[in-house]
Amino acid sequence: MNVKKKFLCLIALFAWLAPVIMSNGNEIVAQNSAIQQKKGSVSGVVTDKNGEALIGVSVKVKGTKIGTVTDINGAFVLNNIGSTSELVFSYIGMNSQEIKVDNRSSISVKMVDNSVNMDEVVVVGFGTQKKVNLTGAVGTLDSKELEARPVQSVAQSLEGLVTGLNISQNQGSLESKPSINIRGVGTIGQGSSGSPLILIDGMEGDINAINPQDIENISVLKDAAASSIYGSRAPFGVVLVTTKKGKAGKMAISYSNNFRSSSPVSMPHMMDSYTFALYFNEASKNGGSGAFFDDAWLKRIQDFQAGKLVNSNGYPMTTVANGTHWADYGGANDNVDWYKAIYKSSTPSQEHNFSVAGGNETTKYYFSGNYLNQSGLMRFGGDSFNRYTATAKIETKLTSWATLGYNTRWVRQDYVRPSSLGGGLYSDLARQGWPILPLYDPNGHLFSSPSPALGLRDGGRDKTQEDWLYQQAKLVVEPIKGWRTTAELNYKTDDQFRHWDSQVTQNYDVNNNAYVYNSYSNVHEAAYRTNFFNTNIFSEYSKEINGHNFKVLVGFQSEMNKYRDLTADRQGIIVASLPTINTTSGFDSSGKIASPSVSGQYYNWSTAGFFGRINYDYKGRYLLEANLRYDGTSRFQADKKWNYFPSVSAGWNIARESFWAPYEKFISTFKLRGSYGSLGNQNTVDASGNVVPYPTYTTMPVGTANGSWLVNGAQPNTASMPSLISSTLTWEKIKTWNVGVDLALLNSRLTTSFDYFTRYTNDMVGPATEMPSILGIAVPSSNNTNLKTYGFELEVSWKDRLSNGLGYGVKVMLSNSTTKITKYPNATGSLSTYRAGQTLGEIWGYSTIGIAKSAAEMNAHLATLPNGGQSALGSNWSAGDIMFQDLNGDGKINSGANTAADHGDLKIIGNSAAKLPFGVELTADWKGFDVRAFFQGVAKRDYYQDSYYFWGAWKWGIWWSSGLKEHLDYFRADASNPLGQNLNSYYPRPLFGDGKNQQSQTRYLQDASYVRLKNFQLGYTLPNNITSKVGIQKLRLYVSGENLLTFTKMSKVFDPETIDGTWTGNVYPLSKVISGGISVNF
Amino acid sequence: MRNKIILSFIGVLSILCSCSSYLDQAPLSTITPENYLNDESQLGSYSIARYSIFPTHANWSFGTFGIDAATDNMATPSYDNKYVPGQWKVGQSGGDWDFGDIRQCNYFLNTVEPKRKAGTITGSLTNIKHYVGEVYMIRAFAYFDKLQKLGDFPIVTSILPNEWQALTDASKRKPCNEVARFIIQDLDSAINLMQTTAPDGKKNRLSKYCALQFKSRVALYEATWLKYFKGTAFVPNGTNWPGKTLNPSYQFPSGSIDNEINYFLDQAIVSAQQVADNIQLVNNTMTAEAETGKDFSVASDKNPYCAMFGSVDMSGYSEVLLWRQYSKGLGITHNVPCYEQKGNAAIGTTRGMVDGFLMANGLPIYAQNSGYLGDDSAAVAKKNRDGRLWLFLKTPGQINVLYANSSGDHATPVELVPLILASSAEDKFTTGYVIRKGLNYDQIQDGNGQGYTGAIVFRAVESYLNYMEAYYLRYGNLDAKAQSYWTQIRNRAGVDPDFNKTIAATDLSQEAKNDWGAYSAGNLIDATLYNIRRERRCELMAEGLRWMDLKRWRALDQMITTPYHIEGFKLWGPMQTWYSASSLKYGIGDGSNVSDPALSNYLRPYELSKTSLAYNGYKWAMAHYLSPIATQHFLITSKDGKDVSTSPIYQNPGWSTTPNTGALN
Repeated sequence: MNVKKKFLCLIALFAWLAPVIMSNGNEIVAQNSAIQQKKGSVSGVVTDKNGEALIGVSVKVKGTKIGTVTDINGAFVLNNIGSTSELVFSYIGMNSQEIKVDNRSSISVKMVDNSVNMDEVVVVGFGTQKKVNLTGAVGTLDSKELEARPVQSVAQSLEGLVTGLNISQNQGSLESKPSINIRGVGTIGQGSSGSPLILIDGMEGDINAINPQDIENISVLKDAAASSIYGSRAPFGVVLVTTKKGKAGKMAISYSNNFRSSSPVSMPHMMDSYTFALYFNEASKNGGSGAFFDDAWLKRIQDFQAGKLVNSNGYPMTTVANGTHWADYGGANDNVDWYKAIYKSSTPSQEHNFSVAGGNETTKYYFSGNYLNQSGLMRFGGDSFNRYTATAKIETKLTSWATLGYNTRWVRQDYVRPSSLGGGLYSDLARQGWPILPLYDPNGHLFSSPSPALGLRDGGRDKTQEDWLYQQAKLVVEPIKGWRTTAELNYKTDDQFRHWDSQVTQNYDVNNNAYVYNSYSNVHEAAYRTNFFNTNIFSEYSKEINGHNFKVLVGFQSEMNKYRDLTADRQGIIVASLPTINTTSGFDSSGKIASPSVSGQYYNWSTAGFFGRINYDYKGRYLLEANLRYDGTSRFQADKKWNYFPSVSAGWNIARESFWAPYEKFISTFKLRGSYGSLGNQNTVDASGNVVPYPTYTTMPVGTANGSWLVNGAQPNTASMPSLISSTLTWEKIKTWNVGVDLALLNSRLTTSFDYFTRYTNDMVGPATEMPSILGIAVPSSNNTNLKTYGFELEVSWKDRLSNGLGYGVKVMLSNSTTKITKYPNATGSLSTYRAGQTLGEIWGYSTIGIAKSAAEMNAHLATLPNGGQSALGSNWSAGDIMFQDLNGDGKINSGANTAADHGDLKIIGNSAAKLPFGVELTADWKGFDVRAFFQGVAKRDYYQDSYYFWGAWKWGIWWSSGLKEHLDYFRADASNPLGQNLNSYYPRPLFGDGKNQQSQTRYLQDASYVRLKNFQLGYTLPNNITSKVGIQKLRLYVSGENLLTFTKMSKVFDPETIDGTWTGNVYPLSKVISGGISVNF
Repeated sequence: MRNKIILSFIGVLSILCSCSSYLDQAPLSTITPENYLNDESQLGSYSIARYSIFPTHANWSFGTFGIDAATDNMATPSYDNKYVPGQWKVGQSGGDWDFGDIRQCNYFLNTVEPKRKAGTITGSLTNIKHYVGEVYMIRAFAYFDKLQKLGDFPIVTSILPNEWQALTDASKRKPCNEVARFIIQDLDSAINLMQTTAPDGKKNRLSKYCALQFKSRVALYEATWLKYFKGTAFVPNGTNWPGKTLNPSYQFPSGSIDNEINYFLDQAIVSAQQVADNIQLVNNTMTAEAETGKDFSVASDKNPYCAMFGSVDMSGYSEVLLWRQYSKGLGITHNVPCYEQKGNAAIGTTRGMVDGFLMANGLPIYAQNSGYLGDDSAAVAKKNRDGRLWLFLKTPGQINVLYANSSGDHATPVELVPLILASSAEDKFTTGYVIRKGLNYDQIQDGNGQGYTGAIVFRAVESYLNYMEAYYLRYGNLDAKAQSYWTQIRNRAGVDPDFNKTIAATDLSQEAKNDWGAYSAGNLIDATLYNIRRERRCELMAEGLRWMDLKRWRALDQMITTPYHIEGFKLWGPMQTWYSASSLKYGIGDGSNVSDPALSNYLRPYELSKTSLAYNGYKWAMAHYLSPIATQHFLITSKDGKDVSTSPIYQNPGWSTTPNTGALN
C-alpha cells in the first residue's frame, strides 16, 4: 500500500470515528447537566492583595473545562453555571483558590502571591519529592514542551530542553538513534560506557521507542545525590520518564495528528562535470601524474553539458563505448550531482495519536495508541520507518490500604531500506561519485560503475522489525498512615527480526544486452530476544514532629538480563521475488556449494542492590538527605562483585527563614544546595560499544567457515590465540560534587537555577600501561585511568501575562562541561593518544602564515628556515603551498617528538568539544493563538577534519579525493586557467597523493558553533464556547517546523550537528520538516 | 485479606530473586582455552588462520607480481624513499618491531606440544604432526621476515607474561646468525613433522617440500649476508656492530664467521637438493617463436609453463609447492587479472630487466654476433631472445582474451599501446614495458576486483637456483647436479644450455648498466656467479624475491657514489610516433608527463621534473640495508621511559633513535 492510500484510509477512519467520539462526548455533557439542578450566571472582580485589578486570571468551573479569563478591569462573567459549582481561580505567581458558588451571582476574589508553588512535586528515584525540598540536581520537563514536535523520537525532541542533558542526533537516517549523555563525558569509552540510565515508570526502557504522547513528565537526575539510589546502573545520571495515567472523573478522549514534509538539510553540492575534470586534472598534474582527462575527453564533457550528445534513440550519450561495455571512470561524460540524484528533495510523513483516560475513586484507566509513518529521502529503493504503540494502564484499590496496578506497553518499529544503504554509501558518495559517471547509460538503464543508484534500487532490501513489550505489576500497601510499601515486578521483552537480501544486479552493454554486474545473491536473517526481569521493593515511612519532618526509605532491587540471538545466511536466491532462506539454493554465483553461515549466542548478566534513604527537614528550611546503596554485579569476579555507594546532600531554604520576610516580595525563593556522592560503573563494553557480559573470562576466538585462505575451494574454520584479560577488573568509581542555588524573583515571574559540578571518574577502564612490543598481543584493559569533568548548568525563565491578555515567556538554558584526563598510561606524553593533563578535544596543529602566491614568496619563506625548511612535512614546496610558522624558532618546521614536552611547531589551536550548548525557548499566547520558537545550539566549538571531504584533492590520491563546490576556491596561479586566476584562494593548490599542505593548522580550523531554529510552531485553539457546542473541550490547529534555520560559520560542506556522524561527517542528512495538524480533546 | 495479599506477593518475590547464585554468571556460548586445541581439526583451524602471513594476491594491487616494485626490475609511478637518502625516516612508533605473528605461533606450540607428547590430542597422528609442523614453519617464516628487515632480533619461544621487567629482559636482540640458526631449527622440526603431501592433497597447505625449500632460502640468505657484510656493523663482531655492548665476547657457534658462512651454505645445499631432486620442472611447450597474434595467445594458454602463473587451479603443476586458491562465489577475489591485461597496476618492468635476458643463443645482447636487434619496440626487443622474455613481455596488439564472458566488464581484450601518459594506477604504464606472467585468457576473471586466479607462494625452481648459488659459493665451482639444474632451467627457457659460452661472453661492466646484482659490496663480481644471479633474476622475474636478493648480495653500495637511473622503454625512438607529439610534454616543470630526450632516449619515470627528489637518479645509504626501529620501542623498554640509552634494545647501524630523522650514513 503506498503512502497516499494509507493516508486516505486513516482520514476515512478518523471521519468514521469522529461522530462516534463526539456523540459520546455529548452524552456525557447531557448527563452532567441532568445532575445539576439550578443554573445562573456568576460575575465578579479579581484583585491582588493591594486591591489592583488582575487581568488574565483563569476562572474555571471545577471538574469541567468551562471557564474564562478576567478582562482589563479584572472582571469576569460565567453564564449557565450550576449553583453548587466550585470555581477555580488561578494566575501565574499566585496561589490558586477554589471558591464555591453557593447560589451567589457575584464573587470577588483577592489573590495572594505564591512565593513558591508549595505543591509542585518532582519525580525522583523511587518516589516523589516536593520541588522546594529538593537538594540534589534535578532537571524537569513537562509534556507541554514536547507537544507537536514533528520528530521521530522523544530523544530528538529533548535536545537543548534540559540543561546538562546533551542529546546529539548526528545523522538523519531513519534508524539512527541520538546519543545521550548527562553532564558531558563520563568515560573515554575504551572498555566501558558512560551513558545515562533511562527508566520508564521505574523500569529500564528505550527512550527512542515510546509514544511521545504518553509522557506526563521527565526528570533528569544529574548529580550523585539524586541518582545514587540506583547505584551501579546510574553513575552518569538517570532520565526518569513518567507516563500518563487515568484520573478520577469524566472520561477524557483526545486525538491528535501531524502531517509532515521533510527535506534534507545542508546537502553538499558537487562540481559540474567540466569543472570537476579541470580540478582533478590540476590535482593530478600537481601530483606529478599528468592530466587524468585528456583534451578529447574534456571536449566531450563540455559537449554533453551543451546538450550536443544525443543518440539516435533520443537518449543522452552519458558515456562512450569501451569495447562492448560502457566506459566508467575511464571515459564517461555525464554531468551528475550524485547527492541530488540519490536524495529526494522532499518526502511526506504522518503521525496519529489517540487516548482515552478516566476512572472513579477505586479504579482508574488509561489507554492510548500511536502510529507514526515516516518516509526517508532515498530516491532509489526508498526507505521508511513505521512505529505502532499501544499502552494500557489500570490501577485499582483492592482495599482502603492496598492498591494494585498493572500496565502494559507494546511498541513496534518497522524499518525498511535498500540493503546497499550502508554506512559507506554516504561518505563514499563524495569520493566515488564522480560527476562524469553516468546515472543512466545511453540506452536509458540505470548504470552502476560502481555508482550506487542501481544497487539501491535493485540490490535487495533490508527490513528490521523490533518489538518491545513492557509489563509492570505494582502493589502498594499502606497499612499504617505514613508507612508505604511498594513492590514492582517488571518484565520487558525486546525482540528483533532483521532480514536482508542481496540480489543479482544487471548492467547493460553497448548492444543493450543485459549482463550481470553483481553476481552475489544471498538472504540473511537475524533475530534476537532480550528478556529483562526487574524487581523493585521499597518501603517508606514518613513522620512529622513539631516541624521536624522525617522520611525513611529502604529497598531492594534486582535485575536479570538474558540475551540470545540467531543468524542464518545462505547464498543463491532462486527466484528474485522470493528472498527467503528456504528459497535459496546454497550455491554461489559460479555454481559451487557455498556453506551457509549460521550463528547463535547466549549471554546473561544480573545485578542486585540494597538501598536506603533518609530525608530530614525542619520546617522546610534545613534540608538533609542521605543515600546508601550496596550493589552487586555478575560482571566481575567474586571478591570484586559488591560495593558500597554512599551520597549525602543538604539544602538551606533561606527565603523560608523569618528574617527573610522583608525581602520576600522581591525574592520569594532562595535556596542553597550542596551534594556529594560516590557511584560505581560496571557497564563494560567492547570497542564498538557492545556489552561485554563476561569481561574477566578468557575465550578462544573461533570462526566457522570464515577463513580467507581456501582449502580445497572451501573456507576453513579458524582459531587464534585468546586475548589477555584482567581478572582484577572491577567497578569504575564515580564521585560527584555539586553546589546549586535556586531563585524566584518578582512574584515568581523570574526563576533561575544554577548548578556547578565536578565529577571524577576514577579507576576508569582503559588500556593498561603500554608494554614492550615483544609481548606480541594487546595489553588487557584495566582500571588504570582517571578523568574529571566539571561544568555548570544555568536556567533562567521569565513568564508574564500583560494586561491585554498577552502571555509570553522566555526560557534560556545554558550549560557547559569540560573533561580533563587526570591519569592515563602514556609515560612519554605522546600526543597521539590520551595523556594526563590533557583537556579532552584539544586540537594540535601548525600555525599558518598563508598560501604562497608565488614561488619567490615560498622561497623567501623557506630561506627563513635554514635548518631544514618545511621538509619534515613534505618536499617540492612552491606557489600555492602553505607557509607554516616556526613557533619554536629552530629554523625548521616539524612536530618534534610529537610529545607534550617536545611538540616542535605544533600548538593547541582549538578544542573540538562542544562547549556551551544552549537552548532558548520563546513562547507567547493571546486569545487562543499560541506561538513557540525554540532555538538550540552550541556557542563554542572548534573543528578540524583531514579528509577528502573537506580538502577535495587529498593525500591518499585520486580515488580518495572529491570535488564539491566549496573545493573550487583553490589556488590557481595561471591567469589563463579556464576557471580564472585565483591567488587569494581558501584552499592551497590541489595535489593528489601529497598531504603536505593538509596538516592540522590554524587556517583550516573550523568554527563549529551554531544556532539552529529547532522548532517553531504556531497554534490556534478554537474558542471554547464554539467547540463545546459540538462536545469538544479543546480543539487546537497548528503548524510546526523542525530545523528551519541554521546559523553557522562552518564550511558549507558540513552540517555542524552531524560532523561526528562518521569519519567525514558526511552522513545521511538531517531533515528540515514542515508539518501541520490538529489536536482535539473531548 | 491484608495478610494474604502481602504474603502472596512476598512469596512470589522471594521465589524470583532468592537464588543464591543470582550474580554468578559464566559464559554461555563461547569456548574457553581449556576446551580447545584438543583435536586434530582444531589444530588445523588454528594453523590455517596463520596462512595470511604468506604474500599472495589481494584486491587493488598487482599481488605477488608487484612485490618486486621499487627494485631495478620493476618501477612504480613515484620514486621509492629508500633510494632518496634522508626521505626514509625513523618512525615514532610501530614499524617492523612487532611480535604478533610470533606470539600466535608460540601460543599454539606451547599449548599443543605438551599435549601432543602426552598423546591427549584426538585424531590422526599423521595429521596432528603435520599441523604442528605447519606452525613451526609459520614461526620460521615470521622470523625470516624480521631477519631480513632488522637483522639481529630477540628469540622468543614462550608465551611471555604481561610484566614489564620480563618483557624488557626478553627484548634483547640476538645476533642475526643466531636468529637464522633458530629459524633453521624450526624448519627442521617442520620438515620432520610434515608430510610430503599435505592432508588437503591440493597443495593449499604447507608440506615438507615447502619447508625444505624455505630452509635453503634462509640458509642462503644468512650465508650471503655474512659473506658480503663481513667486517661491517651489519654482522656480529664487525666494526661498530651495535650488538657489541650486549655481547662483548661473542663467539660464533661454529668458531668463526667463515665457518658460519660454510655452515649455512651446507644447510642450503642439502635442503635445496632434496627439493630439486624430487620435484620436476613444469614443461614449456612453446620453445619456438613461430606463433604470432591470436596463435600466440592460444599456444601460451595451452603452455603449462605459461598457464601455471595465472590458472585457477594450480594443484596440477608439479613445480608449485604451495598456492592460495580464490573463489568468486565466496567473495575471495583479487584484481590481478585486470591489471595483467592493462598496465600491471602501474608497476612497470624496467629496461634493465628486459636487457638482462640473454639471446636464445646464450649470448648477452651486447656480445659480438649476438644477433640482438635493438629495442626500438618491445616486439623487436623480444626477437631471438630468451624464451621467457618473449613469453612474458607483452607487446601492443596481442590478444588478451580468448574466452569472452560478459561479466568481465573490465577486460582489455587487445593489448594497448602503453598508456604512459595516464595517471591512475588502473591505467598507467609506468615504464612502457608490461608483463603477462600471471595472465588468464578467460574474460570471467576481468570483473573489477572479481578475479580468482590462484597465487603461487613457493615454486620449486627456486631450490634449483639456491643449490647452484650455494654450491658455487661454497666450492667455487659447479658440480654435476648444479650443472644439471642449470641446464634444465636453460632448456626450459629456450636458451642455449651451454652456460660456459654465456660466461665467456659476459662483460660485467656492461651488465652493471642493467643489473644491480652485478655488484657485491660495491665491487663487480665474477662472471660465473653473475650468470647464476642472472638466471635467478630472469627465472624469478616478478615473483617477489628480488629485494631479498639485492640485500643479501649487498648489491647497492655502488649507488652511494654513483646514482642509478631507472629507465623504461625507448620512448624517444620510433615508438614516440605511438603518441601525438603535442601530448608528450617535457622540460616544463611539474606539467611534464615524460622525461626529456636530452636525458635519455629511454623513458625515465622519476625524471619528469627537476623538482623530483629522484631527478638525479637513485642513490643509497648503508643504513638502508636494515630498517630503523621506531623510537617508542626504546622508550618503553628504558628505565625511566625517557632515556633511550637505558633500553636493552639497540638501533640498527646508521640510524638514530630520534623520530623523523633520516639515515646518518
